[in-house]
Amino acid sequence: MEGIRVGKRLIGTQAPVTVGWENIPRVEGGPVKRLFFSWFQPTVLFALILFWYYAPNSIAKASTAIGIGIGFRVFLLGLEFFFPRHESWQLTWKEVTTDLFYVGLGYTVLRLVDGFIGSDVMVGAIQDSFHWKSFDWFTGLPILLQAFIISFIFDFGQYWMHRGMHNWYPLWLPHSVHHYITQLNINKGAVGNPIELFLIGLGIGGFFDFVPRAFLLAGAIGLAVGSYQHINVRFNSPRWWRFLFHTTEHHSLHHSQDFEATRSNYTNTYIFIDRMFGTCIDGEAELLGMEGGRRMGLREQMTFPFTEGWRAIKGKFARQGQDEATAVPAE
Amino acid sequence: MSNAIALPSARHGSAMNLRFIDWIWHIRGSVDLPPGQTSEEAFARLEPLLRQPGTSQQRGGEALRFTKIDPASQDKLAVFENGLLQVEQDSAGPVLRYHLVSRALLLCFLAPLLFLAFAQLTIAVGQWQKPAAEAAAKAKTDKKKDAKKDDVRPMNPIDKALGAPAPEKDGKKPDRKGDKYSPTSAYVFASLFALLYVIGRILEARLVKARLRKSLLGAE
Repeated sequence: MEGIRVGKRLIGTQAPVTVGWENIPRVEGGPVKRLFFSWFQPTVLFALILFWYYAPNSIAKASTAIGIGIGFRVFLLGLEFFFPRHESWQLTWKEVTTDLFYVGLGYTVLRLVDGFIGSDVMVGAIQDSFHWKSFDWFTGLPILLQAFIISFIFDFGQYWMHRGMHNWYPLWLPHSVHHYITQLNINKGAVGNPIELFLIGLGIGGFFDFVPRAFLLAGAIGLAVGSYQHINVRFNSPRWWRFLFHTTEHHSLHHSQDFEATRSNYTNTYIFIDRMFGTCIDGEAELLGMEGGRRMGLREQMTFPFTEGWRAIKGKFARQGQDEATAVPAE
Repeated sequence: MSNAIALPSARHGSAMNLRFIDWIWHIRGSVDLPPGQTSEEAFARLEPLLRQPGTSQQRGGEALRFTKIDPASQDKLAVFENGLLQVEQDSAGPVLRYHLVSRALLLCFLAPLLFLAFAQLTIAVGQWQKPAAEAAAKAKTDKKKDAKKDDVRPMNPIDKALGAPAPEKDGKKPDRKGDKYSPTSAYVFASLFALLYVIGRILEARLVKARLRKSLLGAE
């Protein structure tokens, strides 16, 4: 395959990818359908911002956020079912069940573990050692700005953690499992080795949660933008949305079977962070996964980082032993 | 010849007769073949359904066994790790009998138990952490009592002008992640997987029958 030159890189030499917004198909159908899929994303984002900005204190709490999050995902699941982007990414019973197993782990045992060793524990400890007054400069900012800063800090940290995972083998091992997914569906973000799910949740965005409403707003922005990363629905996202936010198209390229394409679009919410550091590629891919699209089974997803890590260590020591055996002493 | 190929996981003749419970993850059924259709013709028609990455086949007379390793998501039979297809002559004519084994169905059947165990674990950890949590809550209350009233942070004038609700006067900071020692989510997922199992057991049995029938009886 010839590939497409993007800056200094050749993208799509190993697997088909589409680069450039002008080459990406638009939603087809009647005017109502096109209107819906053009304005759905911005409408939900602004509606959620307004809701969290004005909701009375009795409603603006974590349980409401959890309820909205679940309801929104169920709705998106319905959209996937009725308006799939690619037939080859259609949800099956096995896919839904596998994805929900990982979602379930996140809501139960991983949350429990996070309560002891997650970044929030560290953040809480540091927060307690500061006096509130030290952060008056932050808590005096407009709530929306606080929310943006919280989500930006979280996404900035996420960007570097994710980029690190693609560049340093010990971090790649747990993350690689997530790259064995062969299609994008709404709950695929939860699929991965539990160690990676813990690592990716690390962040210091929670440090600035002094005003609960600002933190909940930050969560709502993350929900209204980040939820589309793994979704089998095509949207006519407005130009400004695609410039600022991480879209399904960006993320499908990140999951492509082409190695160079996977080394792009590392953010979760704000694709402009990728633009800042030169890792953004505007495009999409349909053929996803590793090893030519081999779907990894549940058991291997759990053990892969350890078995591969062990194999790598053994290989390294074997090579060292060989080098020593064949080395000729210099005289 | 029909017994020439056996399902490895069927465990015929084992001490415990799994047949009473193996319906949980085994799907058996039959599809009537058109009169005169031979096993050669029937298996040839099923070939597109079986010719998938990670699928190996073994033929023995009137029987065909398939095994799947890491089947693709869109493989129509992806939910089954192995299966035995046999063409037999019934009084009414030739019939294809199938016996398919699904680890996914078994795991989904067992998943509620795992999540119930997570619920118990959450309760146990909550009990274990109770004294520490109470001490922390008391320390926070004492700290708040000592704190002056002006600790309630003022709102930015922009937010005031836009009419955003003022923060709680007592400076109460709700737990933004909910109660981490609540077993509710584990119970919800246990129920969800029980429901998913029932849906999967019925849906996959119907889908495989429909797909086999379509392949076998579809237009030439």
